[in-house]
Amino acid sequence: MAGSRLETVGSIFTRTRDLIRAGVLKEKPLWFDIYNAFPPLREPVFRRPRLRYGKAKSPTQDIFYHEDQIRAVQQLFFTPFLATIYNWRFSLWCSVFSRKFYSAYGSGPKAFELFNPNFKSTCQRFVEKYIELQKLGETDEEKLFVEAGKALLVEGVILRRVEKARTQQEGSQVPQKSESMGVESQTALEENPPLNEVPQAQHLEAPGEELKGLSPP
Amino acid sequence: MAPGAVLPRLLGAGEGPGVARAAGAPPGRGGGRGRALSPRDAGPACSPPLRPDLSARILSEPLKHADFFNVKELFSVRSLFNARVHLGHKAGCRHRFMEPYIFGSRLGQDIIDLEQTATHLQLALNFTAHVAFRGGIILFVSRARQFSHLIESTAWSCGEYAHTRYFKGGLLTNAPLLLGPRVRLPDLVIFLHTLNNVFEPHVAVRDAAKMNIPTVGIVDTNCNPCLITYPVPGNDDSPPAVQLFCQLFHTVVTRAKEKRRQLEALHRLQGAPGPHPADPTAPGAPSPGAQAGLGVDHSP
Repeated sequence: MAGSRLETVGSIFTRTRDLIRAGVLKEKPLWFDIYNAFPPLREPVFRRPRLRYGKAKSPTQDIFYHEDQIRAVQQLFFTPFLATIYNWRFSLWCSVFSRKFYSAYGSGPKAFELFNPNFKSTCQRFVEKYIELQKLGETDEEKLFVEAGKALLVEGVILRRVEKARTQQEGSQVPQKSESMGVESQTALEENPPLNEVPQAQHLEAPGEELKGLSPP
Repeated sequence: MAPGAVLPRLLGAGEGPGVARAAGAPPGRGGGRGRALSPRDAGPACSPPLRPDLSARILSEPLKHADFFNVKELFSVRSLFNARVHLGHKAGCRHRFMEPYIFGSRLGQDIIDLEQTATHLQLALNFTAHVAFRGGIILFVSRARQFSHLIESTAWSCGEYAHTRYFKGGLLTNAPLLLGPRVRLPDLVIFLHTLNNVFEPHVAVRDAAKMNIPTVGIVDTNCNPCLITYPVPGNDDSPPAVQLFCQLFHTVVTRAKEKRRQLEALHRLQGAPGPHPADPTAPGAPSPGAQAGLGVDHSP
């Protein structure tokens, strides 16, 4: 039985069809009619994977939601490696707001139950409260943050501020623990001296963030 | 490779029909060369062949309907989502040719576009059903050890073949030497995992393209979908996803074979040309045209 083994030339369909037409292949293979009736969306032709050069970037976009602004990506762009993944404009914008859930409270008191498809984490409930309050007309983010936290407290969820245990001067730092807000706004930026080396973070610290005046060790 | 043989002999026949096993025995038994008769040989080969015009009619009938085997009802975008089919690898592992199938990247993890997956899956299942309907040999290939038992048992239960062990070079391209003379090669190869254990494309992808064998494959975000005839972009690493795909293929193949048996029985009963085509949406329902058909007994 004749056949063509050139997998880089055309698709299996084109090769078989041409062999049949030339009379070299006497019998139609079993799949030929089925392929004819239901061809695939893309013809399975061989393509050589080429590298991208220069400034060519892949067209795949990041997926972000509006709720992410509330959830807080702030701690993530402190590591320069991860910063490159994000659209830099978004992370710039994001960092302007000091009040973010994850940077303030860590991942929340309740563990994430990944096996449950309808699971609502503490952060998600916080975000929902925040959005409700926003719809009622409130505009100031800090106030919204505080109010959302209070609303959660009413429901019985206690949010603990995250201790920034990374630096040596932790002992001398202003206490941040305790339940909920009402505490001075402290950005995660302040807590980590290594952050000052990241040029982005530095640039953003400038516009109106209240520094606690911590001196590096 | 004469396809005219009535009893397809995929591997050496040294044992009786009761000892059928999935192909590709473990390497301890002579280097991947299994000796087993297929489960399909103990089946409908007993009944006399149909007249050629009737069998031509049976073969051509399903191609006229867009979804003769109604594969659309077997899954939905929601069921694909619940089986975590949309989860891809990290952005650094992405293959360039998978980009059209990726919806986006969430915190560095690629998310596959399930709308496209649904369309591709429907085409792939439909093709598989038609091949099974025409009595084609289907080979399930995968090199993931986590799912090797599941895939082998799926293939065994639907009467087809599986090869989840080390793929010896030349198994498809040099079959007469490795498997014996007059061996019938598979008519369709289904890849549950396109990559092998060192994250390179499985040799069978290229070999099937060389031997002009159509392929259906689940391609993850780090796979190359070019040479696969009917790629299905989807997750191939999570157990729920692989179980869903196995179950879908199994259902489709069984359904198609059942349909074939029904249509043949119907034509045999009626004898004369001009039978009513069986209702495509209810493969299990009794066909309307059978008059003396109460005593019909479908061979298992």
